[in-house]
Amino acid sequence: MSATPPVQPSAKKPTVKQQRAEERARKLEAYRKKEAQAKRNRRIGIGAAIVGVVVVAGVIISSIVLTPQPVSYNAGSEGTQVDGVQTFQNAAGHVEGAVDYAQTPPAGGEHNPAWLNCGVYTEQVPNENAVHSLEHGAVWITYDPSISDDELSALRSMLPSTYTILSPYDGLPSPIVVSAWNSQLQVDSADDERIAAFIEEYWQSQNVPEPGALCTGAIDGPGKVS
Amino acid sequence: MAEPGPVAGGGARRVVVIVAASVALVVIAVLAFSIGRLSTLGDPTPGNSSAEAGFARDMQVHHQQGVELAMIVRDATDDPDVRLLAYDIATTQAQQSGQMYGWLRVWGLPQAGPEPSMTWMTRPALDGSSHAGHSGAAADGAAHVPGEPMPGLATPAQVVELRALTGVEAEVLFLELMIAHHQGAIEMADAVLERSTNGVVVPFAESVALSQQSEIDLMEDMLAERR
Repeated sequence: MSATPPVQPSAKKPTVKQQRAEERARKLEAYRKKEAQAKRNRRIGIGAAIVGVVVVAGVIISSIVLTPQPVSYNAGSEGTQVDGVQTFQNAAGHVEGAVDYAQTPPAGGEHNPAWLNCGVYTEQVPNENAVHSLEHGAVWITYDPSISDDELSALRSMLPSTYTILSPYDGLPSPIVVSAWNSQLQVDSADDERIAAFIEEYWQSQNVPEPGALCTGAIDGPGKVS
Repeated sequence: MAEPGPVAGGGARRVVVIVAASVALVVIAVLAFSIGRLSTLGDPTPGNSSAEAGFARDMQVHHQQGVELAMIVRDATDDPDVRLLAYDIATTQAQQSGQMYGWLRVWGLPQAGPEPSMTWMTRPALDGSSHAGHSGAAADGAAHVPGEPMPGLATPAQVVELRALTGVEAEVLFLELMIAHHQGAIEMADAVLERSTNGVVVPFAESVALSQQSEIDLMEDMLAERR
């Protein structure tokens, strides 16, 4: 339309061969560029994947390491297994007068309406009252009167200050017998580690008939020293 | 020959998508689980040797003696004010004792501690200070020896003495013993407040410290009237 003259082809018009070489170079350049870009993308992808895996693994590991493990101990149930503990099924009624107990010393059964105040006794205490204390969650440690003073003071030192009765008992099946409601452990000496395990498992257990009921404010037996 | 190519390619792509989706699902599930676990770090369940567990055990023993003393004086006097105070103390402390028993159950901990009583009070507070260092009380009274009697606890001889008294004499001894008993309880409550951020224990200890201080004020007035 306009009168613009057509651009004059360069005087040094490239030859076909040159044109092809240029074209090839251009394609090669484009290919290298694409290749480099792909390589970079791959690096970014791999890097991102590594970072992602590390972050996920970090969160998982820290959630396992940082949060406290659930306590496996389950007081009074299938928690601590104390070797040698015998368990029984005893009745729990209130009765007046003497009771014939299935175990020696008794580890549960019918008992007097008044419980025995927990503490350290130097004389044998009435079964019928002590059993009521077991029903309230106390642990009753009975010892043969022939054990040594060292043994006796070792026993005293390992007892919690409440909910325990320590008293001598004639005719025990072993030098020391530790009883809780429906559970009993016979040991030969005060340094037996199972005594502490028994206390951990059964002292103030929630599996007694009256958990939380007091072990004070009722009656004292003979020879109460603390 | 041309047919299997695209079909195989589509199948492979589908497998890749399914695998990627499954991996993403597993990753999201595991992340959600982990974040849920981490979110419990703010108020963790107290451990067996924690200040919270030590407080729950020792304060039960302390409260149980509060109940015992209150019940003794309720039988020993017919003064309505002292009997009402004793009723209040016995029922409140028995109820609170049950709360602490329940905490240990919920935390999955045995009622019997793994170490002597009061050991938790000898450990450093959250701010790093030791108990003896910050207490305004006399150093000898504040420094606790694990296994020694708890602060403010009446001795067995004092309990026997109270049991032997009646009337105003019993009231006076009861008030003296219970004032010291409450002061000890406040000391224990303050000690756990310095060592815990637990959402159940802290408000409990705060209310124990507050209510027992106001009861101390009341008992000091009642004691002054009877001397």
